[in-house]
Amino acid sequence: MNDVLLEGREIVKVFPGVRALDGVGLRLTAGSVHALLGENGAGKSTLIKVLTGVHAPDGGRLTWRGEEVRLRSPLEATRTGIGVVHQERNLIPDFSVAENITLQSPPARRGFVDRGAMSAPALRCLAELDLDLDPLRPVRELSVAQQQLVEIAKALYTESRVLLLDEPTASLSPREADRLFGVVRRLTARGTCVVFVSHKLEEVFALCDTVTVLRDGRSVLESSPLAGHTHDDIVNLMVGRAHTATEMPPRAPDRTAAPVLALDGVSTADGHQDVSLEVRPGEIVGLYGLVGAGRSELVKAVLGLDRITAGEVRMHGTPVRIASPRQALHDFGIGYLTENRKEEGVFLEQPIHRNITVTVWKKLAKALGYVPAAEERQAAQDLVDRLGIRISGLEQNAGELSGGNQQKVSMAKWLAADTRLLIVDEPTVGVDVRTKHAFHRLLWELAGEGLPILLISSDLTEMITLADRVLVMADHRIRGEVDNDGDYERMSGRIIRIIHDRALPAVTTEREAE
Amino acid sequence: MITINEYGARTSAALRRFSRSTTTTLLCVTLGGYLALGIASSGEFFQGPSVRTFLQYLATPVLIGLAQMVALCVGQLNLAVGALGGCTACLMGVLMADGGVPAPIAVAAGVLTAMLVGLVTGVFIVATRINGFIVTLGVMTILLGAQYRLAGTRTVDGYSPALKELGRAAPLNVPLVFLTALAVAGLLAVFLYRATAGRRLLAAGGNPLAARLSGISTDRQIVLAHTLSGLLVGVAAVTATASLPGVNRSVGGDWLLPSFAAPIIGGVGLSGGSVAVFGTVLAAFVMRLIDAARAQFSLDPSWVNFLIGLVVLGTVVGGRVHQTHLEKRGKAHGRTPPAPAGRGPTADATLPNAGGGQ
Repeated sequence: MNDVLLEGREIVKVFPGVRALDGVGLRLTAGSVHALLGENGAGKSTLIKVLTGVHAPDGGRLTWRGEEVRLRSPLEATRTGIGVVHQERNLIPDFSVAENITLQSPPARRGFVDRGAMSAPALRCLAELDLDLDPLRPVRELSVAQQQLVEIAKALYTESRVLLLDEPTASLSPREADRLFGVVRRLTARGTCVVFVSHKLEEVFALCDTVTVLRDGRSVLESSPLAGHTHDDIVNLMVGRAHTATEMPPRAPDRTAAPVLALDGVSTADGHQDVSLEVRPGEIVGLYGLVGAGRSELVKAVLGLDRITAGEVRMHGTPVRIASPRQALHDFGIGYLTENRKEEGVFLEQPIHRNITVTVWKKLAKALGYVPAAEERQAAQDLVDRLGIRISGLEQNAGELSGGNQQKVSMAKWLAADTRLLIVDEPTVGVDVRTKHAFHRLLWELAGEGLPILLISSDLTEMITLADRVLVMADHRIRGEVDNDGDYERMSGRIIRIIHDRALPAVTTEREAE
Repeated sequence: MITINEYGARTSAALRRFSRSTTTTLLCVTLGGYLALGIASSGEFFQGPSVRTFLQYLATPVLIGLAQMVALCVGQLNLAVGALGGCTACLMGVLMADGGVPAPIAVAAGVLTAMLVGLVTGVFIVATRINGFIVTLGVMTILLGAQYRLAGTRTVDGYSPALKELGRAAPLNVPLVFLTALAVAGLLAVFLYRATAGRRLLAAGGNPLAARLSGISTDRQIVLAHTLSGLLVGVAAVTATASLPGVNRSVGGDWLLPSFAAPIIGGVGLSGGSVAVFGTVLAAFVMRLIDAARAQFSLDPSWVNFLIGLVVLGTVVGGRVHQTHLEKRGKAHGRTPPAPAGRGPTADATLPNAGGGQ
């Protein structure tokens, strides 16, 4: 049972500005379940895409049963015997369940799809998952969990020797997840190797034989037997120790001051339940959670982009109802720096000065809405100097700037509007280290001047560098709060445990129910 | 027994799905409208000549609607539908009338040219990665120029009497051109619903990323869609040339908007991945009914555009509401896993019947 199916050595994948994979190795043996672990952005999904022919690696070797292979397309990977369930939804909404399952090689006769022959294999794959679905139903009509299971059925159809599952349990109920684990065990008994990516450590320890841990694009633990490690070992490996915190001047926010923004038992139409938080002057409050935990959605609801169904939002102690981001800005001075700066944050085709002053046109405008150019430029220049935005001139289009500088322009926009509360969403995704540090320093200084900041980030280092308190969010609820003591190891351990502890009670209730 | 039960449940599920679709609504609207018109004209509308005129001018709208639908199904759009049709019609007319080319050869040349223009458009879009809107806008302008160059200010009418004869032929008062359009729609439906190539087209339109991951080249599908769209426009040009008294530079000038209206009313989404051949044909019917009603009651022609505009907006708004409804249900499902599909009360109610049939 110890024959190696797929092996990767020193795999490198470079995206513009980022080394997503920097010397990763892993060895997948027949009949085993292999866990692939790491924090957000450690490179798990990229590795999976390299192994399945979606991305071509920029370096390193891949061997299949001892022979070197080059996977040029997903189809080639499938033909080699590598199947995958990606993290993104990969179903054709208008096609039936059966047709989606058989999409990679639909049964056909003389160029015509054989629908009769399609149902049988589809039903067989669905039966493996204990799933009672009409194969003729369009997947558009299915629930998220059902769609996830159909994707797994789709991967079963190709009868792969290596099956990669990227977060397959993210949208499944404990019962459905258990069924999936049954399938995984059956597959490995037949000699398949299953690669399992999950954020739920309990699942990993219950299911997996070997483990590879990625951190910052490197494999810090390579295909090692899982039995030799404890939960804490793995968490420490995922988080790492070698994190140098940026040196910052000390800053001590007043913990007793009246909060600028307070949420009290807020529930939203998007599914948030009983969310309470407070942001005080000069304080940076971190909102940490995995992708999909509902952090950005919460902020959007507060800004009036989604409905708040229960609870109270208070600004400076007064209950308020914010109807739109426009009202949030003009009446309450809330600036929102979006996660999606290319699409939502800046006007790429507009000069910098116009990008910065868009929030204050009303203030600058004279009669008939005329905005004097000189004043506009003056206001913009002040902020460019203050934030150290590197530009060739105010006339440059924002689209020509680097990611970090775009982010600064986006920030300048809110500062120009004399913001009294800043909400920053994933400020340093996709920017280089130097810009990141500059940006951290900027946020730090702004807080030092008394500006309250609510920081949303999936980057734990960033959280621990900046935040005074970290609220941990999972599944649209606040799961816990950690006071930041600046010690990376201790903090990351606590935060990750708050997130991972969730899986445990869910499993026990399920067992009690049975 | 079990299989028959399952079969019955599935058939009824499929029927239920069909009964809720846009196509069913359109079918009712078409039949109702047709009956109403017939009664309002005290039966005259049901008589041979009226039916014949009605169907005669339905062929081209059906074909151009299908041509646009094929482009829409991969998430593209084809602004050159009218210009390409007009240009092809003039090309065929000029070839026959001025060049003395026999009708079959001229028709074949016209259809092939239209298909070739579609192919070149598709290749250009894929090669340059320029948005299809801009490319087909450019192609449209070029073709309008070409059409003017071919026909000038005259009307070309001295072409093959045999072709015109065919265009006017109507065995049992059903015009040949209309039958041609129906046959094309049938072939297209078989292609899109059954052929592997057609399914690939729809997969690429429905979720390009998923299609790529399943080994389907989305670029090739875009080229195929534009080629097919060109071919259908070519056939539409043939039916127009055959049934019109002559061709000039205004042929095709009023095709573009109906070509969008038919698929959109028929239930085709603009984002790609969905087709409704029957729905598109029915939508063309509905629009023709509005036109016939105008003639019947001697209404102001502006009413036709007004009504078609309302119908288009109404359909889109209706689809939007339906979509949000579905999404909300999907979300609710995601939170609390629902009972498995097809086991609703309706499906259960039909089970005994299916068993009884045995």
